[in-house]
Amino acid sequence: MKWIDFKAGVQDFWNEFKRVKFGLFGLILLFIFILTVFINPYIVPFPEASIRWRDITYWEDNPVSAPPAWVNWFSSTKRAPSLIMEEHVFSEEKMGKIKLSRAVFKYEYSYDLPPLDVIFHGYAIGSPVIMLSIERPDGHIIELVRRPISKSDGKEVRVSIGKDSRIESYNFGAKFENLEGNRIEREMVKPTSVLFSEAKEGILVYPSPLKGTYKLIAEIILPSENDVVEDIYFTFSGGVSGWLGTDSSKRDIWSGVVAGVKWALLIGLLTAFTAVSIGVTYGVMSAYLGGWKDSLMQRIFELFLGVPLLPVLIVMSAIFKPNIWIMILMMSCFFWVGPVKTVRSMGLQIKEETYIEAAQAFGASSSRIIFKHMVPLLIPYAFASMALYVPSAIVYESSISLLGLGDSTIVTWGQILHDALTGGAVLNGLWWWVIPPGLFIALMGMTFAFIGFAMDNILHPKLRTR
Amino acid sequence: MYWKYCIRRIIYGFAIFVILIFIFSALFNATMENTLRSRIEEEIHTETMRLDTRMTPEELTRYIAERREFKQRLYHLDKPTWSRIFWRAFNVLSLDFGKATIMRSSSGEADVWIIIAECIPRTILLFTTAIFINIILGLWLGLKKAQRAGSLMDKTTSIGTMIVYGMPSWWLGMLVIMFFAYTVKIFPSGGLHSVPPPTGFAYYIDLYYHMTLPVLTLVAIGFWGSAFLIRNIVLGILQEDYIMAARTRGIPERKVLYGHAMRTAAPPIVTMALLSLLASVGGNIIFEGIFSWPGLGNLYWIAIEQNDIPVLMGNLFITTALYMGGLVILDLIYGFLDPRIKVGGKQ
Repeated sequence: MKWIDFKAGVQDFWNEFKRVKFGLFGLILLFIFILTVFINPYIVPFPEASIRWRDITYWEDNPVSAPPAWVNWFSSTKRAPSLIMEEHVFSEEKMGKIKLSRAVFKYEYSYDLPPLDVIFHGYAIGSPVIMLSIERPDGHIIELVRRPISKSDGKEVRVSIGKDSRIESYNFGAKFENLEGNRIEREMVKPTSVLFSEAKEGILVYPSPLKGTYKLIAEIILPSENDVVEDIYFTFSGGVSGWLGTDSSKRDIWSGVVAGVKWALLIGLLTAFTAVSIGVTYGVMSAYLGGWKDSLMQRIFELFLGVPLLPVLIVMSAIFKPNIWIMILMMSCFFWVGPVKTVRSMGLQIKEETYIEAAQAFGASSSRIIFKHMVPLLIPYAFASMALYVPSAIVYESSISLLGLGDSTIVTWGQILHDALTGGAVLNGLWWWVIPPGLFIALMGMTFAFIGFAMDNILHPKLRTR
Repeated sequence: MYWKYCIRRIIYGFAIFVILIFIFSALFNATMENTLRSRIEEEIHTETMRLDTRMTPEELTRYIAERREFKQRLYHLDKPTWSRIFWRAFNVLSLDFGKATIMRSSSGEADVWIIIAECIPRTILLFTTAIFINIILGLWLGLKKAQRAGSLMDKTTSIGTMIVYGMPSWWLGMLVIMFFAYTVKIFPSGGLHSVPPPTGFAYYIDLYYHMTLPVLTLVAIGFWGSAFLIRNIVLGILQEDYIMAARTRGIPERKVLYGHAMRTAAPPIVTMALLSLLASVGGNIIFEGIFSWPGLGNLYWIAIEQNDIPVLMGNLFITTALYMGGLVILDLIYGFLDPRIKVGGKQ
């Protein structure tokens, strides 16, 4: 088969394919999936999700099990969403050797439930002192935290207002509360709910939100000239978070699900490609060689056919603890049986063609006839079955991951669902943790089903509708 | 003639099963021996605890060494590797899977075979019921699609088939539980029956009540595929010449469909039903774990959770046996329905 024939064949196939609408739709979906792999860092808030999925420090600013941010649209009580605030007004003052810098962050608060925590971040060198305070819309200024840093030669500073300003915020609230008779435990009062509530009686017990513009003020005392605090920003861990919420380990599900796209594509495509290549070659060889070789190859094929795939994969994963590459190899080792039967019967037909006889008369070797004259004719069929094996490969990997036997260095949709299952997401109705990963598995399967069925439609004109 | 075919097929199937068991034994030999060795050590430990305490330390070490040697000989651990693999496969074929390390059967027995045996009927019950309903619905929809191939109904339902093509049934199961068991509390979240199980007729009602949700899930995903396959089978037959001939003879369309086309379509449809049952065992079995349906699939979950290797292995062997058995039965039924098959070969 020459290159030009190949090109013409592809052109013909494409012309036919274009007419199948759902096939085109599948191609568009596939394109979107591939696109998400490339623009991954720009569409997720946590671009390192793929490599740091199990690193708890990467996720520590997020809220626990928060629903998606858009839940606010359908709910009467609006919860403050998670956000990262970097924009601020910066001013500096010099008093002798000591430098005093002041950064003011403006926070527009128009929700019914306050953020769960507000966290200050910075990168400090030397021995600076960091002081955080808040100016409320009603004019009250509350000093929250005073954090001296001792002799750092460069480290991340993280100050959680929710944890470190319990006393200050309690004292502020207690000024308005009639505390005689009923004692309110300090540990029971959430600092953020005091800070973002109206200053009146009940602020500690039944707080009502005070909406308006808040100013978060970070004052930093730099005692010597070499001292630096830079890259300062605040993170708000809200009652709602991100596109798809967070799980019980504070991980952003949207980031995880998007990170899973590339692994699903890799697992699906690589497994399908390897398996179908082996299967097609095997089937054609078996058909062409014939005789005892064919019999032997058929016996081996039947041996593989008798293997219940998922149980064997589960036991192998449980015992050998494979990484993702070994897992793909294992799946390919069993998936290749799929196309063999069809390919062999097709091969038996092709074998009788006169041009094969002609090639034999010219003295062409078996391998040349198989790979040059027989396999190319089966390429369209091979692609169609490849597309239809992709979803199965993804589902098998997810099933194994669901049992907790997946490769723990990556993040796949099956693993997210495993965590959801063990984290009680089903029991507690954390739908945003259960629905998206599975939906993506289903969507990916649908994509390849559309493409595969469309190709199948072209290859089996007999079943085409009148 | 059919009997000869049957016997040949059964022997052949059994031979493949034996080879598979040998391969599994070889593949998992190291792990299985490790569990065996640690079990021997444990047994010796319990034995020494019960011993006479007046033994000197030397005597004790000698005794332990003796017992260890005896036990290792008992389990063929002193033999070369190939012979150990052989003995392991032999044990499996005589249904001796050893004892579970942690898990127990519902009557408290540690024998792996008993633990597995009580799960088999439950798995078969769940999946056969689901497949049965599947095929009924699939036939109904598939015939309609084949009759009106190319219509809007045919097209939209075909799209439905593609939409659920890669949808994991266990995921749908999770959603269904979340909705029907925890949000709208009309079905139990899992299990075989209520605790304590009711007696008499109520037991069966309770069982079906618990089975509803898993079966519904399996049917909701499965019947699209069977409808599509049945459509293709019937559509292929409807384009044959003898159907055309029947139509030209003026035979009513209903009779053509059910009398002529269905008779030819029966063997492939039966094959398809059995194949999807096998596919459930081969690819869907862990679905049971979501509904805590105590069958073979759920056993995989528990065995992995508790790291019980003997149960895991025994489960694999039994699942393989069931799968092979299914393949053999499939061929037997097919040979019975399609007379051309059994004539094939040298006869």
